[in-house]
Amino acid sequence: MATLPTMLKKELLETWRTYRFLILAVVVLIFALMSPLIAKLTPDIMKMSFGKTLQLAIPKPTSIDSWTQFYKNMTQMGIFVVAILFGGTMSQELSRGTLVNLVTKGLPRWVVAVSKYISLVVQWSVALTASFLVTWGYTAYYFPDAKTPYIWQGFVPLLLFGFFFLAVILFGSTLANNSYGGLLFTILVVGGLYLVNLFKAAQNYNPISLIGNNMALVQGHKTLGELGPGIAIAIGAGLVLLAGTVILLNRKKL
Amino acid sequence: MNTNWQLLADNLPIFIPLILLELILMVTALVHVLRHPHYRFGNRILWVLIVVFIQIIGPILYFVFGRGDERRG
Repeated sequence: MATLPTMLKKELLETWRTYRFLILAVVVLIFALMSPLIAKLTPDIMKMSFGKTLQLAIPKPTSIDSWTQFYKNMTQMGIFVVAILFGGTMSQELSRGTLVNLVTKGLPRWVVAVSKYISLVVQWSVALTASFLVTWGYTAYYFPDAKTPYIWQGFVPLLLFGFFFLAVILFGSTLANNSYGGLLFTILVVGGLYLVNLFKAAQNYNPISLIGNNMALVQGHKTLGELGPGIAIAIGAGLVLLAGTVILLNRKKL
Repeated sequence: MNTNWQLLADNLPIFIPLILLELILMVTALVHVLRHPHYRFGNRILWVLIVVFIQIIGPILYFVFGRGDERRG
């Protein structure tokens, strides 16, 4: 147990020195800045392209457009960037044999898995919260309307989905022997979940519902309580995957 | 043309940090490309071009797929 903080420190140091955290933070901040910008510029762009020839009644952008952009970027590009950045988190150590020394000197293997997971969760939470606050600030400044009253309700499911998603990545990375295999596993899982989402009966229980309803939540058309089953399953599946990672790692030849 | 400048000026509070962030990403990757001679594939010129001309995606590609093993320098 005493080794956990040490391993965690090593993980955080590693993510800093390999520039992973820097890239994640900068990219999500770019998305955060682009969301209100694109929302604000869309009418101007439309006007510039066919303003003279076509008399279009373009509605004034609102805070809804800004948050729509934010959740669209984060749940598509954002999630994808996380997957390619962290797809090699365990498989790289396995293929390079950097864990051999630590484990033969008595480091429990579950400490490796848990410390990696904690470090991923910390990075995701910090980066996402920062970008959320940035978008919030700009949206409040440029679109001071009351159309998006429940901002936190849209943010919480995305954060929780991230926890689940990181567990999938870590499991895939342990399962595969290279970072591409882990990435493939992650893509298959998310693709599978989207397929399941086609069935209406399963939609409420699907972790994907955490990133599909953010705008409805922000506008107050839905409440967090309605997503309860999806949230519970996402957290449960995340814990199962983390336990699975420990079991896999215990059986793996280093 | 006038309206374009107006547009830029109106959105300066967003444009400045946006450009700064993209520059940070580009410069970090560029410095790394120039200081480390080994890449998993491709050569220095290729990576410099990718990092400088493909905004946002270029530096990510370099750090994830392009950078060589630290032990070999």
